[in-house]
Amino acid sequence: MNDFRDPSGSGASPIARLVDAFHRLPGIGPKSAQRLAYHVLRAPEEEARDLADALMEVKRSVVLCARCQNVTAETPCRICSDTGRERTIICVVEEPLDVVAIERTGGFHGLYHVLHGVISPADGVGPEDLKIAELLARIRDVDRDIAEVIVATNPNLEGEATSMYLGRLLRPLGIRVTRLARGLPAGADLEYADDVTLGRALEFRQEV
Amino acid sequence: MHLARLTLIDARTFRRLEVELTPGVHVIVGANAQGKSNLLEAIAMLATTRSLRGGTDLDLIAWDAVADDPIPAARLEADVVTASGREHVEVSIVGQVVAVGVPPQRAARRFRVNGVARRASDLIGRLRVVLFAADDLAIIDGPPAHRRRYLDITLSQLDPAYVRALQRYSRVLEQRNSLLKRLQERRGKPDELDFWDGELAESGAVILAARAEAVRVLGRDAAVTYAELAASETEALEVIYEPHVPAPVAARLREHDLAERLLEALVAGRTEDVRRGLSQIGPHRDDVRFLVGGHAAGVSASRGQQRSAALALRLAEVAYSKARTGDAPVLLLDDILSELDPARRARVLSVAYGVDQVLITTPDAAHPSRAELPGAIRWRLEGGRLEPGE
Ligand SMILES: [Zn+2]
Repeated sequence: MNDFRDPSGSGASPIARLVDAFHRLPGIGPKSAQRLAYHVLRAPEEEARDLADALMEVKRSVVLCARCQNVTAETPCRICSDTGRERTIICVVEEPLDVVAIERTGGFHGLYHVLHGVISPADGVGPEDLKIAELLARIRDVDRDIAEVIVATNPNLEGEATSMYLGRLLRPLGIRVTRLARGLPAGADLEYADDVTLGRALEFRQEV
Repeated sequence: MHLARLTLIDARTFRRLEVELTPGVHVIVGANAQGKSNLLEAIAMLATTRSLRGGTDLDLIAWDAVADDPIPAARLEADVVTASGREHVEVSIVGQVVAVGVPPQRAARRFRVNGVARRASDLIGRLRVVLFAADDLAIIDGPPAHRRRYLDITLSQLDPAYVRALQRYSRVLEQRNSLLKRLQERRGKPDELDFWDGELAESGAVILAARAEAVRVLGRDAAVTYAELAASETEALEVIYEPHVPAPVAARLREHDLAERLLEALVAGRTEDVRRGLSQIGPHRDDVRFLVGGHAAGVSASRGQQRSAALALRLAEVAYSKARTGDAPVLLLDDILSELDPARRARVLSVAYGVDQVLITTPDAAHPSRAELPGAIRWRLEGGRLEPGE
């Protein structure tokens, strides 16, 4: 375990820095971070360069869709420009991966809106830090036929706070605001819910 | 209930301890610094998931393990036997390694019940303990936080709903306080408080009601015991719950509309809360008053009176735990018998012989004596090992 310790004793050896960088990624524990770092260390230089290029490329070329705020290579995104989708209903989610999870259920054919977070004052996130103004502007100017907004934030404290906030904002506009049914175990991440559970949660959604 | 088997791995002074225990009275003899308190602390942690002593979770991991292991961890396991069967509970404290060769700065707790990963709230209460220790005096003369902690540890073991309310309350409080600071800096709007106030009132009401009821029963029982322990004196012990809420809310502690009244008080107090950037009212600032002869026991009672009050409270807790669950908790007596006079010692031992299992630590094999503890099973604790004693 001491093989990679910086001989200078400063502690910030290149390998420690890489382990640290991997560990900061969501879902990567200390063990996995070490495994990934050693893998990169042993891999041919080409593979490392591919990884570095892919990381930089994604930061350069991926943008946010001007309508739904999802990550996309072109705006408006594929879903927003798909004329086959229902244009009276928007599903509001926390993160782009949640769109992937709900699409996988095949049970939702409306539009999406990605907030890029949830209300959490302790993390310095208020409503103004989320894509809420963009949601209102979009309903006012572009998607004027919206009749229902499904708030599909995670079933935890912060997800509920966000859901209640959106409900208060949207109901006065004559929009029905619903929340996923309680099929999801409290505290569970949408991203990890299985397709059947998530599909049922969508089907049996309730008024906020 | 009783502990049938205890395993401690890399927990404080114990590299590896495995022991089978029977019901009954166990006396654990060990010189100072052999880990007597650590042993009882580990058992208490299996009951409450919290360390009952100071320090961080990281301090619970054996120092050698922190120095040597790539991912240092302490593991505490026990088999708990009750009338309804045998259960296996497990608490692990795992050092969080962020980089190779850098010692962990934080630790995370993991819980298992019968081998399945569970949340803390699912584990608490499977094993129930009442720990008697010399620093129980701090409940009487320490800061209010000690008394809130006492109530939380006592109630958590008896009421899963209390554990959940406590966890939710502390998360909501942190969010609300952060929002108050934002509002103080004129970021955001006051109606953003609506959600957090509602949640704080809901979980806060559960905590207030449970504490009020517990202090009522514990206080009544402790007063009777105190009078018996202090037979020579006429001054009575009173234990009074002081919820940190406005009087109109405090008057509703046993009513169904407590949450609504608390919410009204929170909304009414918003301006002041924003000004200070901190939540001013709620159970996070509760206190319990101990009076002897009508005066604050922490300030004006003698050391002997304070000791009797703390002892009476612990004895009340044993009865309360048994009354609420129908099953007596495991008693842990951490070297407290030597400082008690014969009458108090006899009182504690009569309670000890009324439960399924008691673990008593002492530095001196001669005290308590064999005559005082008939039928007790004796152990010797030395160098982190527990061996049958003579
Ligand atoms: Zn789009």
